[in-house]
Amino acid sequence: MNTERHIASAFDRDLEGIQALVVKMGGLVEAALADAATALETRDEAMAERVRAQDGAIDALEVQVNDECLRLIATRAPAATDLRVVLTVMKIAASLERCGDYAKNLAKRSLVLNQMHVVEGATASIRRMARQVGLLLKDALDSFIHRDVELAASVRQQDRDVDHMYTALFREFLTHMMEDPRNITACMHLHFIAKNIERVGDHATTIAEQVIFLATGQMPSEPRPKADSVNMGKD
Amino acid sequence: MSVIEMKLEREVAAETIKIQARKVQVHYGTNHALKDVDVDILSKNVTAFIGPSGCGKSTFLRCLNRMNDTVASAKVSGSILLDGADIYDPRVDPVQLRAKVGMVFQKPNPFPKSIYDNVAYGPKIHGLTRSKAELDEVVESCLRKAALWNEVKDRLQSPGTGLSGGQQQRLCIARAIATSPEVLLMDEPCSALDPIATAQVEELIDELRSQFSVVIVTHSMQQAARVSQRTAFFHLGHLVEYGETGTIFTNPKDPRTESYITGRIG
Ligand SMILES: Nc1ncnc2c1ncn2[C@@H]1O[C@H](COP(=O)(O)OP(=O)(O)O)[C@@H](O)[C@H]1O
Ligand SMILES: [Mg+2]
Repeated sequence: MNTERHIASAFDRDLEGIQALVVKMGGLVEAALADAATALETRDEAMAERVRAQDGAIDALEVQVNDECLRLIATRAPAATDLRVVLTVMKIAASLERCGDYAKNLAKRSLVLNQMHVVEGATASIRRMARQVGLLLKDALDSFIHRDVELAASVRQQDRDVDHMYTALFREFLTHMMEDPRNITACMHLHFIAKNIERVGDHATTIAEQVIFLATGQMPSEPRPKADSVNMGKD
Repeated sequence: MSVIEMKLEREVAAETIKIQARKVQVHYGTNHALKDVDVDILSKNVTAFIGPSGCGKSTFLRCLNRMNDTVASAKVSGSILLDGADIYDPRVDPVQLRAKVGMVFQKPNPFPKSIYDNVAYGPKIHGLTRSKAELDEVVESCLRKAALWNEVKDRLQSPGTGLSGGQQQRLCIARAIATSPEVLLMDEPCSALDPIATAQVEELIDELRSQFSVVIVTHSMQQAARVSQRTAFFHLGHLVEYGETGTIFTNPKDPRTESYITGRIG
């Protein structure tokens, strides 16, 4: 990383500005995910509504990031690391915006699930998975803030655990549905939720890969370790 | 020949070394201006020299056609081969060399003569044409290559100094290519031009590349990135990094290059 200052100090301020915006976005997304999972487990409708309402702030931040990146490219013609910062910031913002949508979708589904009877143990498992993914997202963003390639690489590794959690949940939901068909509607919602949380883990991995690109100028070469995925229902 | 074969042939051709410089040193009196510069300039490529003022870009450029011979205090050592032949060999006539390795300067400097005579001057003194008709042809073709013909064809006898800055620079390029050089050296050719004239010269450089090796010194990083295939970064008399232009501007290896192209050191 180049820690020298630019001769034009406003250039430094612009670059720092766009990075501060994605870090802020990251904080909002982490909170939205955690709150949505808690709202699901505790059947807290007010909390779920708040998550839904606050997604607009995340979307607005992404728009702001894109605007400022465009302005920076047009006015400063960034090169080398500076150019990678701008590209990376735009991609991270896009990933975070998607993660925000997933959290909002979780909150919406929690409101529907509140109308149904409880599927034993499911929401606690989902909250644990959301917590795990939240930590992954936090690590990915920390690796961005500190340009920490090792931490970024560990995010790619840790995403396997999330994949395993998702596979386990998938089996659990199948079992519930086979035991009692009245669980099907709730389990379908729960499954979408689990899948979406797993997708957030993938976005955390994408962010970590961007950090590696930012720091080294190269995308990580070896393919991401992928845990054995769901057997499409067969065993 | 298939399209792919043609493409491969062009790529191979593009990798031919036109100028090979090794351990080039220049002293101006006690000032050690250029230190151990090694570089291979490829034929039919545009090579950009970038770096802060005073780092030795012009000094090195002037080594390539022995313009430093005209500077009394300059002492040049090392070897510079043009197509494998040493240009500092005592048997080489610097005037003949400069017909092969032409030069365009920062400030357009047309001779105080007509547009026609500016271009005809080189071919005349080097005896490259045998008749007036042949000379007319050379003048027209060089003015066309320099993208100036349409603007001046009706006033070839008016003075070159009466043209606009951008037109004068294109006239100087026409003059430089009139001796059929193999290499064209350009020292900040656009620094006195407005953006439109600059774009015209850049367009021209890109066209000249099909016939010549072009070496351009520029203070505009964007210009280097736009017009060149290879970029060399000089700093304090050293050639710090030399490579494919895209790589230099996206992922340079040396931290000094990175600092310079991102605007961190002057
Ligand atoms: N004709 C000259 N006589 C003495 N010193 C010179 C001459 N030309 C250049 N120098 C010195 O050589 C160094 C490199 O200059 P130059 O090649 O013009 O740099 P650049 O083109 O990169 O700005 C500087 O220290 C400059 O003062
Ligand atoms: Mg110079």
